[in-house]
Amino acid sequence: MDVGISNETLSRPRAKWRKVAYGGMQPGFDDNHTDESFLEDMVMNANVVKRDITKVILDSVSISQYLCIVSLVILVWNYTLQSTLDEYSLLFLDVGLLASGFVTLLLTREMCSLGLFFHYLLNIGFFTTGLYVLSPIYNTLTRSISSDTILAVTVSLIVLHLFLHDYSGCPIGVPGGALFTAPSLTSCVSLNASVVASVFIASRLPSRLHVFAVMLFSMQVFLFAPFVTYCIKKCSLALHLVFSCGLMALTLSLVYALHKLLFVVLLGLLVFVSVVCPCWLIRIQEYKFEINGPWDEAKLCFDIRD
Amino acid sequence: MAPEKQRILMVSDFFYPNFGGVENHIYYLSQCLLELGHKVVVMTHAYGNRSGVRYMTGGLKVYYVPWRPFVMQNTLPTFYGTLPIIRTILIREQISLVHGHQAFSTLCHEALMHARTMGYKVVFTDHSLYGFSDVGSIHMNKVLQFTLADVTQAICVSHTSKENTVLRSGIPPEKVYMIPNAVDTAMFKPAEERPGGNEIVIVVISRLVYRKGADLLVEVIPEVCRLYPNVRFIVGGDGPKRVRLEEMREKHSLQDRVDMLGAVPHASVRSVLISGHIFLNSSLTEAFCIAILEAASCGLLTVSTRVGGVPEVLPEDMVVLAEPDPADMVLAIKKAISLLPEIDPQVMHERMKKLYDWHDVAKRTEIVYDRALKCPNQPLLGRLSRYLSCGSWAGKLFCLVMIIDFLLLHLLQLWQPEEDIDKVPDFVIPPVEISSAFDQEQDD
Repeated sequence: MDVGISNETLSRPRAKWRKVAYGGMQPGFDDNHTDESFLEDMVMNANVVKRDITKVILDSVSISQYLCIVSLVILVWNYTLQSTLDEYSLLFLDVGLLASGFVTLLLTREMCSLGLFFHYLLNIGFFTTGLYVLSPIYNTLTRSISSDTILAVTVSLIVLHLFLHDYSGCPIGVPGGALFTAPSLTSCVSLNASVVASVFIASRLPSRLHVFAVMLFSMQVFLFAPFVTYCIKKCSLALHLVFSCGLMALTLSLVYALHKLLFVVLLGLLVFVSVVCPCWLIRIQEYKFEINGPWDEAKLCFDIRD
Repeated sequence: MAPEKQRILMVSDFFYPNFGGVENHIYYLSQCLLELGHKVVVMTHAYGNRSGVRYMTGGLKVYYVPWRPFVMQNTLPTFYGTLPIIRTILIREQISLVHGHQAFSTLCHEALMHARTMGYKVVFTDHSLYGFSDVGSIHMNKVLQFTLADVTQAICVSHTSKENTVLRSGIPPEKVYMIPNAVDTAMFKPAEERPGGNEIVIVVISRLVYRKGADLLVEVIPEVCRLYPNVRFIVGGDGPKRVRLEEMREKHSLQDRVDMLGAVPHASVRSVLISGHIFLNSSLTEAFCIAILEAASCGLLTVSTRVGGVPEVLPEDMVVLAEPDPADMVLAIKKAISLLPEIDPQVMHERMKKLYDWHDVAKRTEIVYDRALKCPNQPLLGRLSRYLSCGSWAGKLFCLVMIIDFLLLHLLQLWQPEEDIDKVPDFVIPPVEISSAFDQEQDD
């Protein structure tokens, strides 16, 4: 009799569980039955890029380089405010910077036609004239505001500028370049913050020529330095590295001459950005868990704009 | 052994007079549970002037709590503001189990939290799929993790939805039951006479939004009209993408071949469906597509995108699946047109009656309620350990929220003791017997 019963159960095997919703409850299985095929269509970390620490450190050099440029600008502002640097040497510095910038562009960009050169020269001419005409206004702009307020606002604006700056690209775009990407909202905001900070600092200076010289210097650096460094980086990586290291050495030595504590702070910041942050990024990259599966919303493969 | 008769509170922000998947699910499930002999009460927020207590068909009591919705039909989440009213409703109606619907409903989350604090068993049903990578989804998943950390049982409407819910909230898969939606086959009957002629009519009824693939329609419709001169489209529904469809219609001069009906009221959906041969669904994401069931019940062959839970919904001979790509969808429509002569709407309707039935859904839900009620009670400290595992910072925050809820509950018990709350007596409304009893009295 036992053989008969076991024969019966053998001749009617349980139907296989199917991953379907129709047909009511599947016979022999509960509604909370979890098959081995549960989560078999899940794909993990499909689009995650494996990062290499050397590359990340090399990429972080752009950030340290820009930090040094901004520190140099602040140093020049400081010396001008303390009247260590007089207006004629400042003007000389401006012209020198402009010339070296042009030379760098000529050397690093492949296409350098005379027409383009004159186009740039014309733009610089307009720009400089405009600044010279407006400098009397900037001179008396913040006369009724205390110096502490001005310093506090300038510091916050510079911090905002550094925070929102677009370190990978170029805020003013590359005219005529192959990859023209429109500047994003945050890079425009950061540029404006730096311009306003320069205006505030310039307004603390005694004479109009001072104001003009400092404004010209600040505007040159904030507007054109990203463009020039982008061209250097595009030209050759080795040149970029040499330039950045030279710049860092120059900045550190000048800050050391000014104040020991600031030197320590700047050095610490540069080490943090160049070494600590890449290691941190690589470490927390291991926790990245990207989940994809049949539940994802489908991506349209065509462009919606008509 | 028949399951005991329960007293269930359904909670959601989404209920009649809104029409939608969740709303219909709650309504039909409640009606079938009432027929099985349980008592069902629904709680939702006020809709415009519709506030207070209403009774619907079969004695379904609905509490339209006077809270205003603030965004996307959700009540303002005040954490503890809903505690007094929920406690009152639970005690008045002598509820034994709370069933919340839809992860996007703030009222549902709050009600489940308070019900757990008061010691009731809770069941949660998830109706939608969510992603993992955008900011909104990340926050929603954290809230869901909080609610599901201590839920007694959970229900999902498809297997894909079950996988999605388990990944989002981290609950063990054995706690999640797969009970699909169903369709009211009595309402969605095919036409007696199939729309004849040599014209093939393709029906689309959906909200015209990005998520429902309105952009795919804009690409597919002109191509199909070009390839098959005898095909006509009927597009019902409204939304932000309607303008794009109208533009497409103008651009390709398809005014006589594409009918735009605008928003179709729920009562007229059947009449629109039976005027067609093929139903086209182009959604980009669906946990479970009830529209496809309605179309199949009316005898239409379905063409749909292969997303989410759609492949599980119908057998392969009743649906043609395509990737969410215009070229693939056109091929699928071609295949559907070639399959049309073999389709008999009445046969399809009879098959649908066997495949999906709300009474079957109610019976399976009853089993879930039974299991939920058999789970042991747990004191506060035991439950807090489940919340702590939600995350290093979030776990402690959730524990704090539950402890404050516990304290507020005791304060409320002192202020408004349970004995002071009137209990509602049970009304049983037998529709037929009353009139026959009246006739008998007359005779006497």
